[in-house]
Parts: sequence; C-alpha cells; structure tokens
Amino acid sequence: MSTPARKRLMRDFKRLHQDPPAGISGAPQDNNIMLWNAVIFGPDDTPWDGGTFKLTLHFSEDYPNKPPTVRFVSRMFHPNIYADGSICLDILQNQWSPIYDVAAILTSIQSLLCDPNPNSPANSEAARMFSEAKREYNRRVREVVEQSWTAD
Amino acid sequence: MQNEEQLTCKIEDLANCCGGVDDDIMQKQSSVPLLGDKEPLSTLAAEYQSASPILLEKIKVLGDKYVAIRRTRGDGNCFFRSFMFSYLEHILETQDWAEVDRIKLNVEECRKTLQSLGYVDFTFEDFFALFLEQLDDVLQGNENSISHEELLNRSRDQSVSDYVVMFFRFVTTGEIRKRSQFFEPFIFGLTNTTVEQFCKSSVEPMGEESDHMHITALSDALGVPIRVVYLDRSSCDAGVVSVNHHDFVPAPGNLPSATSASSESINPFITLLYRPGHYDILYPK
Repeated sequence: MSTPARKRLMRDFKRLHQDPPAGISGAPQDNNIMLWNAVIFGPDDTPWDGGTFKLTLHFSEDYPNKPPTVRFVSRMFHPNIYADGSICLDILQNQWSPIYDVAAILTSIQSLLCDPNPNSPANSEAARMFSEAKREYNRRVREVVEQSWTAD
Repeated sequence: MQNEEQLTCKIEDLANCCGGVDDDIMQKQSSVPLLGDKEPLSTLAAEYQSASPILLEKIKVLGDKYVAIRRTRGDGNCFFRSFMFSYLEHILETQDWAEVDRIKLNVEECRKTLQSLGYVDFTFEDFFALFLEQLDDVLQGNENSISHEELLNRSRDQSVSDYVVMFFRFVTTGEIRKRSQFFEPFIFGLTNTTVEQFCKSSVEPMGEESDHMHITALSDALGVPIRVVYLDRSSCDAGVVSVNHHDFVPAPGNLPSATSASSESINPFITLLYRPGHYDILYPK
C-alpha cells in the first residue's frame, strides 16, 4: 500500500541513507515505514560528547503535512525534554513545515542538545541548573551520557 | 509532576511550545468548513446587525459591486485557501488554457528558485505535482476533468486542500527569499527578524497567517493579480462611506495575457474580502 506519506518516507530514508548528516542515524523498523528508530550521537567537545541517544519517530498518514511524534527512548536530562522523552521543539509543534525531512528533524534535535531554549522548559530542574548551576548541569548530562551506553 | 512541568512549558512560552493552545483554536475552528458555500452578500450584513453602523454602511457599498461571499475557515491558511479556490474556479469557469500554460511556466520558475535556494526536491515536489494536477483537472475535455462540485469537494478535503495550500507556501517562501533584498526592509520593520527566519517561522509552517508580504510574493511569483477589499471600522473623509481596496499587481512580465493588454486598468479576477485577521472570497457582479 503506497500512500503519499509512505512514498515520502521512502525518499526520506533514501536521503538519510545516502547522505547522512554527521552524528545521526535512523531507519524504519522492520516492515513498518511509519515507525522509525534513530540514534543521535552527542556532539563532540560538549558535555554530550560520547552519548548515543536512542529515539523513536511515529509518522501518521498526514506526514509530511503533520510532524511525526518524536520521543527519546534513552533517559535524558535536558531543559526541553520531558520525563517521558517527548521533546519541546518548535519545529515538531507549531512551527512544523513539510520542508523538514527525517534528516532535518534529527539534526535539529541534535543541535537542541547543546543549545536549549530556556524559555520553554519541559524539565524545570534541568532548566534551572542550566542557567544557574552549569557545573552541576554538566555533571547530570554526563550521567545520562554514561547511561546511554548501557541501557537497552 | 509531569503535568506541572507541561503547564510551565505552555505558560512560559506559548509561541515556542507544544501547540496546546493552538489545538484548542483548531478544534473550535474545525466545525467551520474549510470552504463554505457561496452565500449572498446579505448574510454578511446579518452578521453585523448589532455592530457599528459604519460596517453596515460599508457592506451596503460593497453590494454595489459584489453579489456573494464564500467563507473560509479561519485556520491561518485562509488567504492561501481562498486564493486556491478562487483561482481554480476561475479556470474551471473560463477554460482559459492560455492562462494555464502561462502559470505553468511560472510554477516551473518557482521550482528552480527553490532548487537554487537549496531546498531538497522531494520535500516540495509532491506539493507541486498536486497543484499541477488540479490545474489540468479543471480544464475540461480530458478523462480526469472535474466538475465544479468536485472542485468544491477537493477544496474541502483536507488532504488535497492542505497540500495545495502548502504548495503556495513553498512558492511564497521561494519568492521572498529569492528577492530578499526587496523584502528585507518590510520584514525587518514588521518582525525584527531576518528574511530567512521570517520564512521559516511565518511562511513555511501551515497555519501561519498571511499579510501583505505573503500576498505580494505569491502574486508576483505566479503572475496573478489579486484584489483585496478591506472591511473594517476605519471611517472615510468627507462623510462619504467608501470601501478601500488594494490591487496586488505583479510585474508586467508575469501578467496573464488577458490583463496585460491594458496594464493601466488591470482587473484582477481574484477578489478577496479582508476583515482584520481573516480572508474570504468575494464575487463581483
């Protein structure tokens, strides 16, 4: 069954596969192009360095007119990431546009890691530490980096 | 705990976060069809019975030139959706093949513009293809030709309608970014942001409302003149009530053949009624 959403996702996959941006990878789960697994690697020379953070992306048949639901599976500590792994990022909500493909989504999330938006905290503890106690914040980030190596 | 955090998120920054409030608005709006039926202008007057007399006066004046209105849903896409239906309906009714040939050339230009700006083909090609398909289908005489009723159905079908709206958003963003030097002062004056940021936040996402810049860019890019009639409380000089309008007229090279002959008095075949925050379609007598 080839719907516009599925056809588009095949092209997203082809591009991500042929021309992957640095530090991200992603692919549909077996037999289901609407559900993807992805990994974002923590950017070098930042507290996130070395982390391998897993995510899932759920696409609906409205894609690309509606954004996918993106969620971290790995435990995170970040001002804009909720305890359940969902992400507070404008392009995944009201600033979504079909110009973003999977590669662009993952790249945006990757840059969000080091560049949080303190105005829309999803984790108030992380938001507070990020602005008031950077050393402690960095320590907590290192913790989730280490956890990312061992967790399923 | 999480609820509390979510609440903070929404209160802290409605513009940036999580769409909770937007969803509420969408829900209220979704009881209004994407595109209504053609209604006599008197329904507009009925809406304002208890409003300021100047509006009723203006609606009376509108009645001299216009007979009907077709409402669109106020979902932030009303300008593009009004334009879509108005344009396709015009082609369906006039069977103006020359105009279709002309606009297709402009559409190809828009495609090249996006490519040269670095947009990835597959992110916009489906939207282009769907618009071109609608253009071919409103022309009669081929096996996929559609009736006026079917055009209405498609325009009310979110999956078709939103794709065409998005096509216009791509065209608009391409035009603004291609001519960024021209648009920059307006954008900076209005929003204090860069051209690129403006396009990313106010043109490319669905549901972002349109203003002069969007209309100028779309009209220029596609070479289609657009008349916008303004219905607001502003009163007029000398006590004579009149209704202002503004014609968005593309550069001469891009004009449809039918209108370019007399560039002095261009009569746009698309007329939209603007009330603060919203566009509907107007039908001239």
